[in-house]
Amino acid sequence: MAALAAGSVGLDPTWLLGALTLALLVLAALKLVEARDRGGRRLVALLQLLVCGLQAAQLPDLLPSLVQLLSAVLALAGLLQLEIGLATPWRVLLRQSLQVLAAALPMALVLFLLVPRLEPLTALPGPSARAVTGLSADLDPGTIATLVDDDGPAARVAFGDDRPPPPERRYWRVLVHERFDGRRWQRENEEEEAAPPQRDGPAGRAAAVPLEAAAGRDQVWLAEPSRFTAVPWDGRSGSADPRLRIEPQGELRLLRPAIERRSYRLRPAAAALAWQGQTPGPETLSLPAAANPRLLALGRSWGQLAEPAARLAAAQTWFEAGGFRYDRNPGVLPEQDGLDVFLFEQRLGFCGHYASAFSALMRAAGVPSRVVSGYLGGTWVVPVGGASFLELRQSDAHAWSEVWLPGQGWLRVDPSVWASAGTDQGPAAATARADSPQASSGWRWLQRQWWGLDMAWSRWWLSFDRSRQEALLEWLLGGRHWALGLVILAGVALGLLGALVPWQLRRHRPRRDRIDRDLADLLRQLHQLGLEPRRGETLEGLCRRAAAVDPRLAAPLQRLARCHAQRRFEATDPRSTSARQAADSWRRSMQQLKQARRSAIRQGNGCGP
Amino acid sequence: MAAWSDLVAGIDRVLLGKEHPVRLALACLLAGGHLLLEDLPGTGKTTLAEALARSFGLAFKRVSFTSDLLPADLTGINVLDPASGSFRFQPGPLFSQVLLADEINRASPRTQSALLEAMAAGRVSVDGTSHELPRPFMVIATQNSLDQVGTSPLPESQLDRFLMRLSLGFPEREAERALLSGQALDLGAMVAAGQPADLLSLRRRCRRQHCSAALIDYVLDLVAASRAPDRPGAPLSPRASQGLLAAARAWSLLQERDFVTPADVQAVFRAVVEHRLDPAGRGQLSRALLEAVDAIR
Repeated sequence: MAALAAGSVGLDPTWLLGALTLALLVLAALKLVEARDRGGRRLVALLQLLVCGLQAAQLPDLLPSLVQLLSAVLALAGLLQLEIGLATPWRVLLRQSLQVLAAALPMALVLFLLVPRLEPLTALPGPSARAVTGLSADLDPGTIATLVDDDGPAARVAFGDDRPPPPERRYWRVLVHERFDGRRWQRENEEEEAAPPQRDGPAGRAAAVPLEAAAGRDQVWLAEPSRFTAVPWDGRSGSADPRLRIEPQGELRLLRPAIERRSYRLRPAAAALAWQGQTPGPETLSLPAAANPRLLALGRSWGQLAEPAARLAAAQTWFEAGGFRYDRNPGVLPEQDGLDVFLFEQRLGFCGHYASAFSALMRAAGVPSRVVSGYLGGTWVVPVGGASFLELRQSDAHAWSEVWLPGQGWLRVDPSVWASAGTDQGPAAATARADSPQASSGWRWLQRQWWGLDMAWSRWWLSFDRSRQEALLEWLLGGRHWALGLVILAGVALGLLGALVPWQLRRHRPRRDRIDRDLADLLRQLHQLGLEPRRGETLEGLCRRAAAVDPRLAAPLQRLARCHAQRRFEATDPRSTSARQAADSWRRSMQQLKQARRSAIRQGNGCGP
Repeated sequence: MAAWSDLVAGIDRVLLGKEHPVRLALACLLAGGHLLLEDLPGTGKTTLAEALARSFGLAFKRVSFTSDLLPADLTGINVLDPASGSFRFQPGPLFSQVLLADEINRASPRTQSALLEAMAAGRVSVDGTSHELPRPFMVIATQNSLDQVGTSPLPESQLDRFLMRLSLGFPEREAERALLSGQALDLGAMVAAGQPADLLSLRRRCRRQHCSAALIDYVLDLVAASRAPDRPGAPLSPRASQGLLAAARAWSLLQERDFVTPADVQAVFRAVVEHRLDPAGRGQLSRALLEAVDAIR
């Protein structure tokens, strides 16, 4: 029950299915208190199993799955205890419930592989509590006094060649903010997020760009649940996956509900992507005239330079010479003209401040500019016995700027680098972290291994979704979907048979086989001595007679007779220690008997054939 | 509670050279059954009964059955108490823990029937009032097998109520020599090895002796063989198979094991079964049955 309750952590009670599950759990607990007879307890165990199943449908991640497995095993053990008998030792119960689970495995596998995914279940409006991300649609650094380290997972990416990309390419873009109101940077297409994504939108295949032929740098991504359908990517890859769409401003959107873990595959594009050369719209230059007058003045002074590239260089010089410091606790900026205060008085800030101020300055200087938020760096994880990957945590969240230069298109500029050079904070340190050797402390190492396990679980288990399943069925059946029903039926029948036949065999002749074989062996030995059982004679009697014929065999024969009686007639579980000891003792005595017979034959006066 | 061997040896010192019948009688006592001793006079039937009773300190009474014995002589009667003016129950000899019914076949069938009913039910009814018999309660009946004149032999249905039928037989020469030279222990000098409560707890333990499925199969095969159409003798009843298993349990307890083997069944088989197969039998039928069923399992 406790395991079940632990498994319920993370369920969202406001969501219909989550609420139902919790109600069932409470019901089972109350029934457990009330249950006196066998039927009631059986009901409790079945309720527990049902709750396990419901939990599994909602929380498919590795840790919850393990907890669900544990509670399923415990519930099965309770059920078995009811059916077999209350005196059964718990170790036997546990082993048997594991056997039941193992017997159910083939069927589970068939169902997992072949039964169509319930899209409506996963496409329901998701629980809001799970939508966690370090990124937000509005970038407003001025209201943030202290940057809190949220160490939640954000995404994972494995590379085809098992090497992390070079540091300058470890900018993973997610959201693009183009609208600026003097304080906040907002996304263009925020409204679309509210609408459920269409599976086959008009721009459905926009991501299908010419790709590099070699699969060497393929990226397998795994994004944690978030509020956005936009997912992290490197800005220079594409995919043949129809669910992936590259927006004109350079966001990659995965047309799947964002409430679950999403897996997608990218391959570096052969040429520059369309978004990089996209002509900037008027909004990339818009700047409210009323706010931040000093910023406007500075930007306009650079705007007199003819070349946009020169304006960029001027800004870099200005930032590097301005005594700016990268700081995670800059304090709140005033509501009015906050960026002015940051640029000309405080000169303290983190990535959001720099990206925001720099983009505004560039707009004032007449260079199209916008803010991009995403992740920077990441941790390179090399799990024992698994493929290495880059782990992006929420603490790796970062914001930078993009400017548009004629002839070059959109270019990434990270103004935080200018402020944080030489310190151990900020982007330079973040990109370097991926290359640092695996952390020394045991706890960190364990954490990395857990990440690795989780990654493998998600890659091979969670990412087996409808499209993969359809591909598998296509491959298996060659498009004949009528065969699907047959395969499922056959699989279910086979699984049931596979589970029930050994079970029945074990139940009905659990130890007769082994003991019968041993007994036949002994009778064969005695037959070779010329002794046949008389009518109605017990084994003890036969052994006594044999011992009288050859006294050298008396001791092992006596032990064998006693041992047989113990194994066949004593009240022991066939898998208990004492039963094993009896079997061992039988084997030893049998060897002694054979030895005694051999030596008797050697001496020439034995009773052998 | 003394060990089994002490218990058997204690009785054996009174009844020289009869270890096997003594063990069987003890098994009968442990299994909670009633015992029929069938033998010639003077072979020690009464001594065995009294020794059994004394070994557990049980209250012992003896009734010589004669043709004029009435049921009320056994059960007791209601007598008028002059002082209070009401009837008071005066218990008869049935109200003991071990009752020796000597020469049971000499009594009238009506008296026999009253005794056997009391044996089966564990209580007697007098004038419409039911009286519980003491516990433990065991009847040891004797009958003289040779002397048939003027007797009413127990019918098969009544014989079925005795768990075992034993005969002691003549002692061996050495045992009889010891008897003649006065080495046998006087009954009065015998010390109890246990209390009546010990006997009750031993009976409980006896019922817990483990009978595996293989063993029950063996008993079922034996019973089924007795019911085969061409087999001589009466078929064994379910009461017989129950009794056989109970006796085998007691025997296995006497062997200091906690599970029953076919050897235990075989050891008690003749004593439990022969009188049910054939009241005049001398053991041939039960031996034939044992040989008809494979005991190596």
